[in-house]
Amino acid sequence: MSRVLGMVWLTFREVWAKKITLGLFVVCTILWMLMAFALNLDIVEGSLTGVRLFGQDTGAPTETRQDEAGNSVTEALSLETFVVTIQAAVAGVGYWVATLLGLFAVAALLPSVLDRGHADVLFSKPMTRLSILSGHVLGVAAVGLLLASYLFGLIFLVMSLKTGYWNFRFLLSIPIVVSMLLVMYGVMVLLAVRTGSSALCLIVTYGLIVASLVFLGHEQLRAQINPPWRSVFVGLYHILPNFAEVTEPVAKLAGIDAVTRWYPYISSLIFGACMYVLAAISLVRRDF
Amino acid sequence: MSHAPQAAFQVSQLTKVYNRGFRKEGVRALESLDLHVAPGEIFGLLGPNGAGKTTLVKILLGLVKPSGGTATLLGHSVSDARARERVGYLPENHRFPGFLTGGEMLQLYGQLAGVSHRDRQRRVPELLDLVSMGRWRDTRIKQYSKGMMQRVGIAQAMISDPDVIFLDEPTDGVDPVGRKDIRDILLHLNGLGKTVFINSHLLSEIEQVCTRVAIMNHGRLAKEGTVSGLTSEASNYRLRCGRIPASIVSDWRLVEDAAEETDDQRTYTAAELELDRLNTLIDILRANNVMISAVERDRQSLEDYFIQVVGRESTP
Repeated sequence: MSRVLGMVWLTFREVWAKKITLGLFVVCTILWMLMAFALNLDIVEGSLTGVRLFGQDTGAPTETRQDEAGNSVTEALSLETFVVTIQAAVAGVGYWVATLLGLFAVAALLPSVLDRGHADVLFSKPMTRLSILSGHVLGVAAVGLLLASYLFGLIFLVMSLKTGYWNFRFLLSIPIVVSMLLVMYGVMVLLAVRTGSSALCLIVTYGLIVASLVFLGHEQLRAQINPPWRSVFVGLYHILPNFAEVTEPVAKLAGIDAVTRWYPYISSLIFGACMYVLAAISLVRRDF
Repeated sequence: MSHAPQAAFQVSQLTKVYNRGFRKEGVRALESLDLHVAPGEIFGLLGPNGAGKTTLVKILLGLVKPSGGTATLLGHSVSDARARERVGYLPENHRFPGFLTGGEMLQLYGQLAGVSHRDRQRRVPELLDLVSMGRWRDTRIKQYSKGMMQRVGIAQAMISDPDVIFLDEPTDGVDPVGRKDIRDILLHLNGLGKTVFINSHLLSEIEQVCTRVAIMNHGRLAKEGTVSGLTSEASNYRLRCGRIPASIVSDWRLVEDAAEETDDQRTYTAAELELDRLNTLIDILRANNVMISAVERDRQSLEDYFIQVVGRESTP
């Protein structure tokens, strides 16, 4: 275990040394400071009476609903609904920000570990290659957890202190963000083991994220595609990670609505697991 | 140290073929290699570029998978990670994480090698002092010179107090004083009963420290033995004598040194002559009434011998 922890420490130190992490913490700090200073809420006896953004009064937020007679009724938004709605939106945006920035921060790590001269020393130690890879991935998970906890934790803290409403469901976004970061990092691990190119790792992983945006409209697109290609499209939808679609469960988990569809998340996890298995097989068989 | 293995390492019929794609023929880096290194030796492996030296070391350390044959390290198969528990390694062109200090790097590799925290606290300063790097302990590795990198690299190879140490070009980029220091460290380790295995192009270094050497060429073992044994295997002899008949000079490929010619004395060199052949030549000269005043052996250097062996093998 001590050896695996050594790899975790090495990953941490390398991320820190690359200064990118520092940049990420600055970006996250700007985000939560915006939340802390730009958004001012007027709360009177537990009710939201006004919202000011950068000092500008935007008025009290309202919601429109149907009454029993079927008429539209506009009334003031409750504090809880306001907080949860904002947090659901922040969770969705934070999911993208944290994952994209996190992947950028860690893209060069494994190619650096597998670089000749460094790999020779590491793999000559009495550790299996799987232990070395596990320690490295654990290190990346720890970096992701730290980054996501910093971003989501501070936003949660700021909003809760400002409103007095503590929506702990918002924190459930953290494990989803970290796990999706690891799913996408699985692609990087496989490519790093096979090619050693950090540029290729980034291009392909971001490419898959862009492709997942196309799959957002998979039901409409499926109807438009001719039969021979439809199966290919559907197959790709099920095989590739549904990164964009996972935004919905992340936001719903932080909000009021129940998550009705976990499939995109589960299929993405399976995809990630397959990437790690393939990467492990390649690493064990590779000559250095 | 409590281990008493029969061999530090042993390879038998070891073969490695690097595949180059489906259509191309693989590169045969090692070809049915047999080698046995006993504990406590300082063993030098020589060979031209592409001879298979690094491949052999990498197979022993589990970095490269053999295509055939067997290899054991301290009694364990090289595919078993336990085989590397009592082994240290300094690769050629190593690249240690530049963002770590020398002390942190040794702590890290010690931890990965399974050295306890307590032992690391003791060994790191000891080793840094041993390689004269104690005062650079808290300096980042990226600020080290090539020679400093080699020194700290040797300390890294020794962090787990290994029984066998593999060093690939350990004096590469090190100044003459540093090379002497490294030689002294190797002899010190050998004095502690460690087996040291050196891959080097610097034949004079090998000659000065190794108890036994092997020469590899084209993935095969060309020669193996002690330095003195190999260099005296076939020597050049200088004969100080009267004029030798031309037919004998021609038959024995003797070379006359005109600069040392006097009225009644000549100097001839007989190249690559083994002892029994030298005695035959002397018998022939005496039978031809040639007066011999001196016979001297020109001891070959390891470099001469290496060039001779590798050159001979490379000749089509």
